[in-house]
Amino acid sequence: MTDVESAKKHGEESLKTRIASIQKPFSYEETAYHLPISYALTGVAVHDRAAAEDVFKKTAGNPIVASECLLAEQTAVKGKEPAPYTGFISDTVIRKLGYSLVDGSILGLALIVGTPKGEGSAAAICRELQEKYMLTFLAGTVVPSLSAAGVKVGLDYRLIPLGSSPFYGIHFVDIVARVAMMFGGVTPGDMHRLLTYAAERAKAIVIVFPGLTDEEIALVDGMRVLGFPILSLGGYENATWVPATPGDVVRQGMELRGIRVNVTAIPIPMSCSPAFEGKSIRKEEMYVEFGGGRSTAFELLRMREPSGIEDGKVTVIGTEIDSMKEGSANPLGIIIEVAGKTMKKDYEPVLERRIHNFVNYGEGSWHVAQRDLIWVRISKEAVAKGVKIEHIGKLLASKFRMDFPQLLDAVSVTLITDPAKVAEAKKEAERVYDERDARIKGMRDSDVNTYYSCTLCQTFAPNHVCVITPERLALCGAISWLDGKIAYEMSPSGANQPIEKGAVINELTGEFEGVNRFVKKASHGEIERCSLYSVMEYPMTCCGCFEAIALMLPEVNGIMVVNREYKGMTPSGMTFSTLAGTIGGGAQTPGFAGISKNYILSDRFLQGEGGIERLVWMPAALKEELKERLEKKLEERGLTGFLDKVADETTAETIEALIEFLERGGHPALTMKPLV
Amino acid sequence: MPFEMNFGWTTPIGEVVLGATKADGGTRRISYRIGGGTTLPFLESSPSSPAPLIAFEICDNPDFWSPIVKDYCGDVVNNANEWAKKADADYGADLVRLHLTSTKQRNFSDIASLGSVVEGVLSATSLPVIIEGSNEPKIDSEVYQKCGEAGQGERLLLGTAEAGKYRSIAAAALAYNHSIIAQSPIDINLAKQLNILLKEIGVQRDHIVIDPYTGALGYGFEYSYSAMERIRFSALKGDTDLAMPMICSSADTLTIKEVREAGDGLQDETAIQWELFTCLAAATAGAEILCVRHPGTIVPLRKALAGMKQPAQSAGVP
Amino acid sequence: MALKALDIYKLLPKKNCKECGDPTCLTFAMKLAGGKADLDLCPYLSDEAKSVLGATTRPPIRLVKIGVGTKNFKVGEETVLYRHEKTFYHPPGLVFRVTDTMPAEEIVAITRRVRDEVLTRVGADLRFNGIAIENVSGSAETFARAVETVEKVEAHLPPVLISKDTAALKAALVHCGTYRPLLHAATQDNVQEMCALARQHGCPLVVRSGSLDDLVNLVKTCTADGVTDLVLDLAPENFGEFIRRSTAVRQLAITRAVPDLGYPVYLNAAETGQEDAAVALGIVKYGSVIVTDPLPSGSAKAALTLRQNIYTDPQKPIQMNPGIYRVGSPDKDSPVLMTVNFSLTFFTLQGYLESARVPCFMLIVDTEGLSVLTAVAAGKLSEMLVRDSIKTFGLENEVSHRKLIIPGYASPLSGRIEDATGWKVLVGPRDAAEIGEYLHQEWKK
Repeated sequence: MTDVESAKKHGEESLKTRIASIQKPFSYEETAYHLPISYALTGVAVHDRAAAEDVFKKTAGNPIVASECLLAEQTAVKGKEPAPYTGFISDTVIRKLGYSLVDGSILGLALIVGTPKGEGSAAAICRELQEKYMLTFLAGTVVPSLSAAGVKVGLDYRLIPLGSSPFYGIHFVDIVARVAMMFGGVTPGDMHRLLTYAAERAKAIVIVFPGLTDEEIALVDGMRVLGFPILSLGGYENATWVPATPGDVVRQGMELRGIRVNVTAIPIPMSCSPAFEGKSIRKEEMYVEFGGGRSTAFELLRMREPSGIEDGKVTVIGTEIDSMKEGSANPLGIIIEVAGKTMKKDYEPVLERRIHNFVNYGEGSWHVAQRDLIWVRISKEAVAKGVKIEHIGKLLASKFRMDFPQLLDAVSVTLITDPAKVAEAKKEAERVYDERDARIKGMRDSDVNTYYSCTLCQTFAPNHVCVITPERLALCGAISWLDGKIAYEMSPSGANQPIEKGAVINELTGEFEGVNRFVKKASHGEIERCSLYSVMEYPMTCCGCFEAIALMLPEVNGIMVVNREYKGMTPSGMTFSTLAGTIGGGAQTPGFAGISKNYILSDRFLQGEGGIERLVWMPAALKEELKERLEKKLEERGLTGFLDKVADETTAETIEALIEFLERGGHPALTMKPLV
Repeated sequence: MPFEMNFGWTTPIGEVVLGATKADGGTRRISYRIGGGTTLPFLESSPSSPAPLIAFEICDNPDFWSPIVKDYCGDVVNNANEWAKKADADYGADLVRLHLTSTKQRNFSDIASLGSVVEGVLSATSLPVIIEGSNEPKIDSEVYQKCGEAGQGERLLLGTAEAGKYRSIAAAALAYNHSIIAQSPIDINLAKQLNILLKEIGVQRDHIVIDPYTGALGYGFEYSYSAMERIRFSALKGDTDLAMPMICSSADTLTIKEVREAGDGLQDETAIQWELFTCLAAATAGAEILCVRHPGTIVPLRKALAGMKQPAQSAGVP
Repeated sequence: MALKALDIYKLLPKKNCKECGDPTCLTFAMKLAGGKADLDLCPYLSDEAKSVLGATTRPPIRLVKIGVGTKNFKVGEETVLYRHEKTFYHPPGLVFRVTDTMPAEEIVAITRRVRDEVLTRVGADLRFNGIAIENVSGSAETFARAVETVEKVEAHLPPVLISKDTAALKAALVHCGTYRPLLHAATQDNVQEMCALARQHGCPLVVRSGSLDDLVNLVKTCTADGVTDLVLDLAPENFGEFIRRSTAVRQLAITRAVPDLGYPVYLNAAETGQEDAAVALGIVKYGSVIVTDPLPSGSAKAALTLRQNIYTDPQKPIQMNPGIYRVGSPDKDSPVLMTVNFSLTFFTLQGYLESARVPCFMLIVDTEGLSVLTAVAAGKLSEMLVRDSIKTFGLENEVSHRKLIIPGYASPLSGRIEDATGWKVLVGPRDAAEIGEYLHQEWKK
């Protein structure tokens, strides 16, 4: 065991002495960056001892700088090492390497130094690095050990032998420095930018075998400043190097630097594409089914700590498909566990809904509904092709990784077919569902400081800005506050942006400084103010996608609602389509607001106008659709029986009939504060 | 003007340099600085931005090129170098836009040949050059690396980055200091998103030209027209993620029925007129590079543009 | 800034008398706010309301009618600078010019061409709109004769009479004075006489000057003289000046900064030396009456098409008539591709199908102009719609197979369409560009 701390100290001292004894001037050909690390850090072009000492001092005795100068001198004195060693690599090649990094055909860089024990261990690591699209640099006896194991090295193999001793590992750093200057906009001498670039953008790891000298240890340890994890395969004692095993070092290193391999193919004997999404599997085409009232089935997606998940792992608990009777209904539990640095618990239900799409993407698998109401079928054709329960798991694991590369680092899937275990796991799932419901249900606009915008419709309604709050979904009814939040997290430059609501201007009408500021900017200066809960004053703009329109009827001092499906005439004298044509297109029209149907159930509905008591008319079918939920709400608010006072087309088609109806029923709106 | 129009613009359009002369390390005889506009196109009384440039489009494999253009140009279409030379000397274009259509062949793999095609065209003309790489994601990486390398120092305009494929082009632009065309499907928000993605990967604003995609006249051109107007509007109002010059290609217009089936003797005239109408309308909406495929369009287009604004100022002549 | 419906409503009598033709005062207010109703329709408006509303609900650019009968055209009443803000309402009249020195046969031929030439695109008949007769001979008599020659064709086209000489115009008006010809042009020199002529015949009048100041003065003179149907000729020296002046007029008019510039703009492409380009610029940059020498076929069609594109309401996409469309000469075994009636979708798909050279049928269903993605999301594209469309358009009689290719984005409906129609559904690609490849690979199977 070598103690890194004390070796490092010795090494640094020895480097310092050697710097002072540099004799000859030196320089590399085929580069415009002199000694790239020294140049990037200090802006000084180092070609002799004086400059070397100057830079060494400027960088507070940095062992990397010292090593760079010493190796340059050594190369000048002794010449380049013979093939296969590359030594210093030219700018032209770096440009190509940098290209591959930006372009994504190389995912990251690895340096391997030290002396591997036995021929095979380094070979296996290199092979794994190759498979994971890493570009690997080698310095020291690791090179002959690979050759002995029959591994070919060279640029074409993404294995680059820098030199015969670990000292040559310095070139690994000069490459990163040049990439930073060429591609990262780092100007020479801007040490801070360089370190930031190396730490944030350079996806580099260092793998260390035993046997480094003190100087080499000082050099390698110096790379930590650049944010490169040093993964030790034994032989060193130290708190900052990461201990690893040959079998796991690549995965561990890549995970530490957040390097992700994109999943592109799904290894299952069934086609998988959105084109199959709408295909149903009829009873006669079905081999087995799960749920749908015929057996117990559920699905659950949960977030876990990364350490608790093995990415891509699929477990089937219970019998596989081949022991299920054709045409039978069987129990099924789908449990998906995910982990990711940016994953949040709030996203669970949204991701869980994707199980439906993904299962349907399979050519022979079909899925409807959600949670413990799911109904899944697998076709005879698919089973004949060899599709098993396990493959549904693989499909899910792969699709989640493919579709949410930014969000998820690891996904594992457990499929339970054992009846007792399904029943048991379902209890836990139900507890989670309840918990989620309680959280969402209870969420109020006042609980959060951030709302979300939606400007998807600006394509045809140029100044339209939808403001989405927990209690007011987008007027199209399709995007909830949570959807907006997740869309933003996954695509930060997309159409859903966070809105800091800021100070309250008017509690009742829901006007906020931050919202106004955002709306003004996002509407290109067209809309100055926006009140979230008012139809009369500065209502939100309307794109054209609204599920329903709320508009005031001055004659009855109330507000009516008409939904898109209702084709008939309304007491306003206008049909839905006439109204939509007049208020759409991104305009703000006081007295008129586009809304989602569900918003009618919200406590914020018509808050600015005195609440739901203002509601005087809505189509009978809409009433019916909302009835159950609405009546519950009304009851809570002590308005039992109110719905009967609200007219519809069967009781009032014209404004005159409406006045009469409302007067007869003693509708509260008639005596409320005048709207106009 | 006795009455002042007041639009309340806050931000000028960013500038992009196309082509590098000897002084800048290239071999072009001229380079252009486009952008810089401070109001709607052609409204400046003393222009702070140059007139739009005219790019002539050629390709290295004319199999799918408009038969009208092939008939008009003759054999030269089979030789990209000669064609480029002609575009420069005879047709009078400001820029040559080379489409590497050879990459469209099934299982194309001769990447090395693309390098020679690009080099050939660069030596055949000393105008700044636009290179359109592959349409096949599988070979994008190699193709753009090759294009970027072959044009190193010449400050090419590389096309075409889209939301689903921009990394290779961005890499080539960064590695070899070229600019890129960022195309989004007729939607201001998507255009903005792509520019942000490019920014994140490290491409500077002054290396991006927006292509909002130009639909054929009569077949969706109005969407493109409004997308361009809106991009220009938002840019001038301060949205720096959209404040880049725009490029318009009337290529789709040559493929539509009215032009294809114009009738004997009328095909050239029709092709020219439809390209002219498309380009002029796009110019008034904010396009600063106008791409044509029929050589006959260049003269009337240039004449019209000259009546709208002083001709392009060179950003640097050796 | 225009008043909002609610502000207008507050000034209305709130009687719901229905005498304006609308069921409620609110409906009427909505129309006024959109510039779609005339204030005078309300019989009970107070004087105060009239004066407040008059100034703000009157269209910022006056609507001017040129010609009479079925072929008249109206220009003006525009409200925006960019079409995406709302829409451009009144497409410019494209007017072919003849001169009085042309042989009569030529004049007749051109007049007939304007009368007869029609380009049918997207279900609309596109035409040129009128005949301008220019007095270049200097003789009033020759001018009158040319006008007579035009009128004798009985094409009933809206005329534009161009002459500096009021006497010549007077002579010409003998032949077409009752047809609301547009008179060109009143300048500082002849504004009084021109106004007199315009008033006498009830004609719209062009006022011409290269200075907006002068134009405002001319407009003031004319309106004071009772001539209010005016059109502005900006006398541009070049294209750049046209764009600058025309944009200034539009901007100053719609913001009501200079109400006296609130009139449609006239452009004589014939005097620019490059007519095709002038017509293109006139169409996009706010020209309302565009006079040009007869355009050759290529530019004629391009002009009509550009005008149609620019004057399409951006919020109401052009819709195709639902039905069955043929690509090539399909037979009973040819594939059927279903898609929506959004014109852009239709044309894009049609284009790719044509270049794929596979004869086939397109089944266009009525999604009210929504694209596939939005139609699916909004529930406009449903299995019922597909089923009904197959029945209504008799698709069963066209092909002997029962296979329907649907757009990739409609794949969530595939099962339901199969169930509702009994047809086998094949899901095509999402991107129309891939349809050729798809047909070659999948249909052959």
